[in-house]
This record gives sequence, C-alpha cells and structure tokens, in this order.
Amino acid sequence: MDELEFLKKDWQRKEKSLPRLTYDQIYEMIWKRSSSIVKWIFYISIIEFVFWATTSFLLKDAEFMESYEAIDHMIIMQIFTYLGYAGLFIFMYLFFLNYKRISTNDNVKKLLKNILRTRKTVKNYVWFNLIYFAIVASVTVVIQVNQNTDIEMLHDKFIIDHDESFFYLIFYGITIVSIFIFCVLIWLFYRLIYGILLGKLEKNYKELKRIDL
Amino acid sequence: MKKELEHQFVTLLEENQNIVHKICRLYTSDQDAHNDLFQEITIQLWKAYPKFRGDAKFSTWMYRVALNTAITLYRRSKKKIRTQEIDLVSFKMKADEYDGEEERQLKLMYDAIKELNDIDKALVFLFLEDRDYKDISETLGISEVNARVKMNRIKTKLKTILNP
Repeated sequence: MDELEFLKKDWQRKEKSLPRLTYDQIYEMIWKRSSSIVKWIFYISIIEFVFWATTSFLLKDAEFMESYEAIDHMIIMQIFTYLGYAGLFIFMYLFFLNYKRISTNDNVKKLLKNILRTRKTVKNYVWFNLIYFAIVASVTVVIQVNQNTDIEMLHDKFIIDHDESFFYLIFYGITIVSIFIFCVLIWLFYRLIYGILLGKLEKNYKELKRIDL
Repeated sequence: MKKELEHQFVTLLEENQNIVHKICRLYTSDQDAHNDLFQEITIQLWKAYPKFRGDAKFSTWMYRVALNTAITLYRRSKKKIRTQEIDLVSFKMKADEYDGEEERQLKLMYDAIKELNDIDKALVFLFLEDRDYKDISETLGISEVNARVKMNRIKTKLKTILNP
C-alpha cells in the first residue's frame, strides 16, 4: 500500500485517542481573553500613534519654540503643525480601515496580507514622523543659527582664532550626526518590535506567495 | 437570542472538537501549549461565529478559522514549562496493531511532518483529513494547481525519508 495512504488511515484511526472536552469546559473557554497576535498588534499600534502624536505636540510647546513667537518664522512652524495633524488623521483612518478588514473567515493568505498591511500603515506613520522631525529639526537649526543670540556669541568667540566656515562645519556636522543617530535608534527599535511581532507572519506569507509563484 | 447562539455554537464545537485537537497536536509540542492553542482557537471561532453563514459546512468553516489561528494569530507564550511531550505516534495507541516495520515507518513520517514549516503542515493536515484540493486551495488562498504541485513535493520528500 502507498505509504501516505497508510499514514492517512493511521491518522484517522488515531481520532479515538484524542482528548475530549465537555460542553461546560468549552462553554467556559469562549469567555476567556484572547491573546492573539492581532490584539497585540492593535495595542502596540495605538501606543505608537499616541506616542508620536504626543511627541510632536510636546515639541511644538518646547521652550526653544517659544523664541519663535517673536519671530516672523512662526508661520513656517504653523504649517508644520497642520501637516503633523493631517498626517496623524490620515494614517489613523487608514489604520482603522485596514484593521477592520482583518477577519479569520478569510483564507490564510488574505488574512496574513491584511494583518501585514495594517502594520505597514503604522510603519509608514513612523517614517512620516521621522522625515517630519528631520525637516523640522533642520529648519529650526538654520533659523537658530541666524537668530539665536547664544549661538551668535559662540560664533563670535569661535572666529577669533578659527576660520568661520569651520564653525558652520562643526555646527551642522553635529546636527546631522545627531539626527542620524536618532533615526538609527528608532529604526533599530522598530526592527526589534517587528521581529517579535511579525517574524512568523512574514515567513508564512512569503511561503504562501512562493507556492503560487 | 444570545443564549441560543452560545448553546448552538458550543454544541457544534463539542461535536467537532477533534478537528481542533488534531491541529493542536500538529502545531504544538507539549500539553500546555496544546491547551493554550485550543483555547485561542475556541475564542477565535466564537468571535467569528456570527459571520458564519450556513452556506458552508460548519466543519469546513472550522478548518479555516482554526488553521488561521494556528498559523497566524497564535503566539506561543514563552513559558518553558515542558510538561509531558506530545508524541504524534504514540497517541496511546496499542503497539500491537502494527508490526515493527510499520510502526517504525509511521514514526518516521510523523516526525518528519512535525519538522515541516507552518504552511506545509497545513497542507499535509488537510490532506490527511481527506479534504479535496479545491478545499485546500480555498483554505490557504493558493491556486489548486499549485496546492497539488506542493503536496506532491511533500509526498516525495516523505517517501525519500522512508526509503533513503
């Protein structure tokens, strides 16, 4: 006999040895809390939205921003603020739209795809914020260099015995490196969350796509 | 109304619970994890039940939701309390039903299946459950032809293990 037919027969025979739960045991289970990965993804995503939204609002209120009150550049910061809000609402809307699509009634591939897509929205929001912060930080630095009295003093002291372009090189250099390090840290943090949350899902989704190649 | 739905669902699941147990056996390797996965599948089935329309058989629908849970939603909690290991072969079967060689072959095959990835496991599982390829392809979301091709590859692999 074919080995696999033999295996199939044995598999079906083994039904008899399966455990059996009673009606009451099953009834009790339906009220237990789920610990599914989708639930985790949902909570973590919400935390991320709240975190990034709060960060951008806090930044807006930061002390150094107040110095702009008196300056004409306030309008630029206002545009950035609106952009920040718009980003938050658009991404939140997309997130909920995708989240609602997740259903275990779908086939395995579609379910995986919808979960991964939901996470991708959050990932894009984080990218949006990183780019947003990089731009805001750059604009801020440029404005500060031209207007901040402390920096002006530093600048004046520095050029007594150094070249002026050297001052700007160091100043912008430090800024760029700080922004870069900040982005790398955030990126590493996300790789970690992603590895933990989505490793299995990505692997299985790739496998299903490979079968259909 | 709600009570009625609960009763209906629990009765159906009680009748068909074998399907869930078999998936748990295949996807977990100890009793704790088995119970854990069983519970998660039950919760997911219950959550999805209102959307279950009678156009498919309850069992067919169960295969889909249960496999979805095992492959996608379930995250093994890191508790490493290994209670009794589940052995697909022993299943408390009487050994004397087979001769030594058959027993050995079965063990080899079950061991090999346990080593497969999540998707291949699902394919083999549905095959062992005697589901047709149309059903397999619809459950996994792959084309029927490719489901067949993949299954044949797995079969060949299993045969090589038996006859090296």
